[in-house]
Amino acid sequence: MQTILASSSFFEALSTNPFLLLALGAGFAASIASGIMGSFIVVKRIVFISGSIAHSVLGGMGFFLWLRRTCNLEFITPLQGAIVAALLSALLIGWVRAKHKEREDTIIAALWSTGMAIGVIFVALTPGYNVELMNFLFGNILWVSYSDIITLLILDVIVTAMTVLYYKRFQAVCFDEDQAELQGVSVNQVYSLLLCMIALSIVLLIQVVGSILVIAILAIPAAVAGNFTHKLSRMMLLAVLFSMAFTFAGTYISYECNWPPGATISLTAALIYTVALLKKRSAYR
Amino acid sequence: MAKSDPLAIDVKNLSYSYEKTLVLEDVSFTIKKGEFVGIFGPNGGGKTTLLRLLMGFNKPVKGKIHLFDKSPIALRPRIGYVPQINRLDKHFPITVLELVLMGCLSSSNLFGRLCSSSLDKALQALEKVGLLDKKNQPFGTLSGGQAQRVLIARAIVNSPELLFLDEPTASVDPAAEEMILDILQQLKGNMTILMVTHDLQTIVRKVEKLLCVHRHVHSLLPNEVCEHFGLGLYHSPILTLKTKSSH
Repeated sequence: MQTILASSSFFEALSTNPFLLLALGAGFAASIASGIMGSFIVVKRIVFISGSIAHSVLGGMGFFLWLRRTCNLEFITPLQGAIVAALLSALLIGWVRAKHKEREDTIIAALWSTGMAIGVIFVALTPGYNVELMNFLFGNILWVSYSDIITLLILDVIVTAMTVLYYKRFQAVCFDEDQAELQGVSVNQVYSLLLCMIALSIVLLIQVVGSILVIAILAIPAAVAGNFTHKLSRMMLLAVLFSMAFTFAGTYISYECNWPPGATISLTAALIYTVALLKKRSAYR
Repeated sequence: MAKSDPLAIDVKNLSYSYEKTLVLEDVSFTIKKGEFVGIFGPNGGGKTTLLRLLMGFNKPVKGKIHLFDKSPIALRPRIGYVPQINRLDKHFPITVLELVLMGCLSSSNLFGRLCSSSLDKALQALEKVGLLDKKNQPFGTLSGGQAQRVLIARAIVNSPELLFLDEPTASVDPAAEEMILDILQQLKGNMTILMVTHDLQTIVRKVEKLLCVHRHVHSLLPNEVCEHFGLGLYHSPILTLKTKSSH
C-alpha cells in the first residue's frame, strides 16, 4: 500500500489517491475526540488509567474474534468486543476508585496485563491468521474506510456534546473532588462517565494509531497545548489543532519516508513535545 | 443567641478509624452558631479527619454528628471549605474567576449552566478577599497567600453557614497570614468558622474557642491556652492539665 502511494509526491497523491485522503480525514476526525478527551486525561493526570484501558481492549477484541470464528457468530466483530472491554474496564476502574482507592494503582496495572493476556490467549485459540490483532496493536490509518470516518465523526459529536453539557462538572471533578462533592456533584458517577467517554475514544482512536500508540496521540497534543494557555476550554481547542497538525505532519513524513503512519504520527508528536518542553525550560532560566 | 437556636455543630461520642488505626476516639463537643473556632494538635492527631467527618466525606465508626440539627450530607450545600493548598494542582489550567465560580456549582441547572447571579456573587467574593483585579489571572501564577484568598473566595461565594479551613495560613508569609486572618475576622459572626492551624500563637488572639485534637478532642478557651505560652509549653502540658481538671 505504502509503496503504491509513494510513487508520487505527497501533495499530488492527496488529490489523486482516495486512500491518503481518507487517512487524513480519519486522522483529523480522531483529532477532535483525542484533543478534548486528551485534555481531561492530562489535567486529571490519568494517563496511566488510559493506558490500562487501551491495553485491556485486547481482551475483549480477542474474545469476540474467537466467538466469531469458532461459533460462527458473524454478527459479532472485534470492534464490538473492544468497546465492551473498554467500557467494562472504565466502570471497574471507576468502582475501584470509589470503594478501594488505596489499591487503585495495583488494580489498574493488573487490568492492563490481564486484558492483554486474555487477548493473546484468545487470539492463539482462534483459527486462521489474525490480521485484526496486528491492526489493533499497531493500527493502520491507510486501511480506514469511509464508514470508519463516519463512526469517528459520530464519536466526535458525542464527545463534544457531552463535554459542553458536563464541562463545569468535569472541570470541578478534575480539579478538586471534595469541592465538587460539597457542591452536590456525584463525583463517582461523573468520574465514571468521563472514564467511559475516554474508553470509547480510545477504542476508536486505536483503529487509527493502534493500542500501543494511542496514549501518545491522546496525551501529547494536550500536554503541548497546556504550555500555551491557562484555560481548560482553550487547551482543548489547541489540543485538537495540534493533534491535526501532528497527524498531517506525521502522515506526510510517513508517506515520504515510507514509514508506518501510526508510529510516525506518534513520533512526530513526541518530537514536538520534547522541543516544547526544552523551550519551556529555557524560558524559565 | 436565642435559647432555641440550634447548635451549629453537635458531635456526640464520635469515633473513627482508618482500617485498624483508631484516629478519633469517643469525641464529643459543641459549637455555637457564629463562633470562630481554632483547631490545633500534633500531626496525625486527626484534625483533617475531623473536618472530613463534619463534611460527611468520611463515615463515623461510632457516634453522631449534627450540623444545625441535620446530617453533614444534608447540610453540604451550606458548607464552605478551604482545603490544604498542597492538595490542589497548581498547574491546572484555570483562571481565578473560574475557580471561584466552582463554589456556585450547586446552583447550576441540569445542563451545568450557572444561574445569572453567580457571576455577581463571584466578583463580590473576590472583592471581599481583595483580588478582584486578578480575576482573569491563572490560578497557578498566584503567590501562596493570594491562592489561599482565592480559595476563601470560592468557599464564601454562596454565603455558607459553616466555613471550614484546613491550614489556610500554612506556608504563607506573615503579611499574607495577617491578611487571611483579617478576612476571617470580617466574616466572623456571619458564619460559624472552624480553622485548622499549627500557628497557635496567632490564632489564639482571634478565636472564641479552641479544639485540641489528639485522638481525643479537648475544648479550650483562649486564656487557658495563653497561660501555657508563658511557660513555653505546648500540646502535651495543655492536655495533661485539661485531663486533670476534668477528673
